[in-house]
Amino acid sequence: MFQLDMKSRRSIYEQVVENLKEMIRSRVLVPDEKLPSVRELSRILTVNPNTVQKAYRELERMGYVYSSAGLGTFVKKVAPGQRDEILFAQGKSRLREAMQEIRYAGLSHREMMELVKELGEEFERRDQ
Amino acid sequence: MITVNQLTKSFDGFQALSRLDMNVKKGSIYGLVGTNGAGKTTVIKHITGIYQGDQGQVQMDGELVYDNKKIKERMGYVPDDLYFFGGYGLGEMGKFYEGIYPNWSQPRFLSMIQRFGLDSRQKISSFSKGMQKQAMFILTLSTMPDYLILDEPIDGLDPIIRKLVWKYIIDDVAEREMTVLVSSHNLREMENICDSIGIISNGKMMIERDLDELRSDIHKVQVAFPAEKDIASFLASLQVLHREKRGSVELLIIRNRKEEVENVLRKAQPLVFDMLPLTLEEIFIYELGGADDEIQGIIF
Repeated sequence: MFQLDMKSRRSIYEQVVENLKEMIRSRVLVPDEKLPSVRELSRILTVNPNTVQKAYRELERMGYVYSSAGLGTFVKKVAPGQRDEILFAQGKSRLREAMQEIRYAGLSHREMMELVKELGEEFERRDQ
Repeated sequence: MITVNQLTKSFDGFQALSRLDMNVKKGSIYGLVGTNGAGKTTVIKHITGIYQGDQGQVQMDGELVYDNKKIKERMGYVPDDLYFFGGYGLGEMGKFYEGIYPNWSQPRFLSMIQRFGLDSRQKISSFSKGMQKQAMFILTLSTMPDYLILDEPIDGLDPIIRKLVWKYIIDDVAEREMTVLVSSHNLREMENICDSIGIISNGKMMIERDLDELRSDIHKVQVAFPAEKDIASFLASLQVLHREKRGSVELLIIRNRKEEVENVLRKAQPLVFDMLPLTLEEIFIYELGGADDEIQGIIF
C-alpha cells in the first residue's frame, strides 16, 4: 500500500496518518472506499495494530474517514469549505519556506502573487 | 493485563528493585528499557514467576503469578540465556512443550520450522547461537501464549529473521490480542514496534507512557534570532530542559507540545527555525544521562 521509513525521526503513527491522508487527498482512495481493516494493515506493514488503530481514530477525528460498526472504516467525502486546521498550519509553514526561497531566487511581489493564483486555478480545475 | 505493584527485591543486601510499579495493557506491545543493571531482567523474572518479590505483587488478569500454573501455561518466555535439554532435537523439544502447554499448536510448530528453515532432527546444541534463539521463538510461539515475555530477544538474529519473528508476533497481537513485554537496548527497533514504554533506572520506574505521547512532548529546536532580540523573555513561557549556543544558532531541548513551541518562538520572528521530535534514544539518554553536562554535549 505504502512504504514506511523505519529510519525516520517521524513516528510510525504519524507516518501512517500522513500516508493515508495523502492517498485520500490525491484520490488514490476514493470516497466511500473501504480501508483495509486494522489487522490487515498492521500485517501488511508489520506495524503494531494498536498504532494502526490509533491512526484510524485520528483520521476519523480529522474527518478523513468514517467508521461503521462491524463493517469497517471508509473514506469520507470532504464537504466543501471544511477546513483541517492542523493541515492548514503545516502547509502554511511549508509555504512560507518555499516563498522565502522563491523570493530569494529573484521573483517580484507581483510575480509571486501571480504564481499563487496560477496554482490555485490549477487545483480548482483538477477538482472539477 | 500485567500489573506490578510496589515490587521490592534485594539480593544479599543489594536493592535490585524498589517499589516498582508497572502496567501492561492487554494487547499492547510494551517496551521495557533501562541502563545496564537497572533491573530489567529482575523485573522480568518476577513477571514470569521465577522470582518472588520481598514486597509487592505481580498480577496477570488479576491473579498472582508466583507458583500459578494456570497463568504460566498461558505465558511464553524467551529468556536472555537459553536452555535446552542436552541431546534433544527441535522435534523432541516440541513434544516436551506439547505435554506442558495445553494450547500447543502442532500445525504452527511445523510450519514455523519450515519457514525458518531449521532441521527438526538435528541436535539443538549443535545449532549456532542465532539458530538456537530461532528454535526458542518457534517453541514459544507454538504454545500460542496470551502473554509473551521477551528479554533481549533480537540480539544475535539477522535482519531477515528479525523481520520474520516480528511478523509472527504482530500477527498474534492483531489476531488474538496477545500481550507482549519486550526488553531491549535496541531503541530504534523498539520505537518502531512498541506502543508503550517503561523506562527504569536503579530498580525504579522512571517514566511509563504511551510512546507517541512521550515523543510528542519533547522537541529539539534549532533557532537563530536577530542579534538585538531578547529571547529569554520568549523562552520563559516554555519548559527548556537544555540550552546551548553554537555560533549564532541556539540549540534547545524543550518539553512542550509542538504547537506551543511553534507559537511562542514564531512570535520572536526567528531567522532560522527548525524543530525535530526527539528519538526514543535521545529521550532515553536525556532522561538517564541528564545530569552529566559532558555527556549531553556529545549527544545533542
